[in-house]
Amino acid sequence: MTSDRSPQPSAAGQQRAEDPGISMAAAGGDQERMVAGRLRDTIASQFGRSLHIRTLDTGSCAVCEQEIRLLAAPHYDLHRLGFFFTPAPRHADLLMVTGPAIRAFDVAARKAYDAIPGPKIVIATGACALGGVYPADAFTHSAVDAIFPVDVWVPGCPPSPLALLQGLLVAVNRLAEKSAAMSFIADDPAEGVPG
Amino acid sequence: MPLWFLRGLRRGVVTTHYPARPDPSAAGLPTPPAFSPLHLDRRIADHLCGICPSRALRREDDMLIFDVGCCTACGRCRDAAPEAVTVSGEFELAATGRASLVKHIPLFREAQA
Repeated sequence: MTSDRSPQPSAAGQQRAEDPGISMAAAGGDQERMVAGRLRDTIASQFGRSLHIRTLDTGSCAVCEQEIRLLAAPHYDLHRLGFFFTPAPRHADLLMVTGPAIRAFDVAARKAYDAIPGPKIVIATGACALGGVYPADAFTHSAVDAIFPVDVWVPGCPPSPLALLQGLLVAVNRLAEKSAAMSFIADDPAEGVPG
Repeated sequence: MPLWFLRGLRRGVVTTHYPARPDPSAAGLPTPPAFSPLHLDRRIADHLCGICPSRALRREDDMLIFDVGCCTACGRCRDAAPEAVTVSGEFELAATGRASLVKHIPLFREAQA
């Protein structure tokens, strides 16, 4: 099944590279933005049908991996949404990175990232990957964006499968992100200002 | 006919309808805290910053800065100041920008000596 699907992203990539819209991008700011928007929509729609996920553990405690594995369980069943796990980065469209990016893993992480055919999406998964648990020191970079560009951040320790699902859907533009609008300020009961 | 087939028919579909409909199991998830500015002063804020195990909280003057991305939803801040900290219940936290996960919570209450 994977071998049937894997030629699709590369073929789509060639088609996009030949798109005359890209060479027009230098014409002007508005046009550039328009072309970029169209390109983003095309990529999102092509990713939206079938997207292969490669997970990369850069030193996590494996609980994020457990939650990621739960995505394939009957309750969450991410295959119904067109997401699939693949064991090879060359077959993947999306890299799901967990852990605080330990320095000993730099070369392997870079190889995995480079092996994914573009355009690629990187999701930083869990508080470690977002820089919350380990400070940067001689052993870790602290956050995943120190080793490659990150497109979507999924907080949580560990992020629940539902949060991961939302992160995946945000990554392919099928759900709007909500976190920017959240204030984390509680609605106070109407009891007046104390003090 | 195998018994598991009949059992499956009786139980119906267990798969979540999540993106289309909310999932009932989301209510039990650990979620980051929400802060009520009316009950926060500098002393409480500094205490919360000190007990946060994942450096998600810091204070700059009269502003408590809460990094949702660093929060592990451990609940220590809620236990330390139950009147000022509640559970947000938000689990759909994915963000396309790291900076949009950093929240600023104003401290309205004057510090009590």
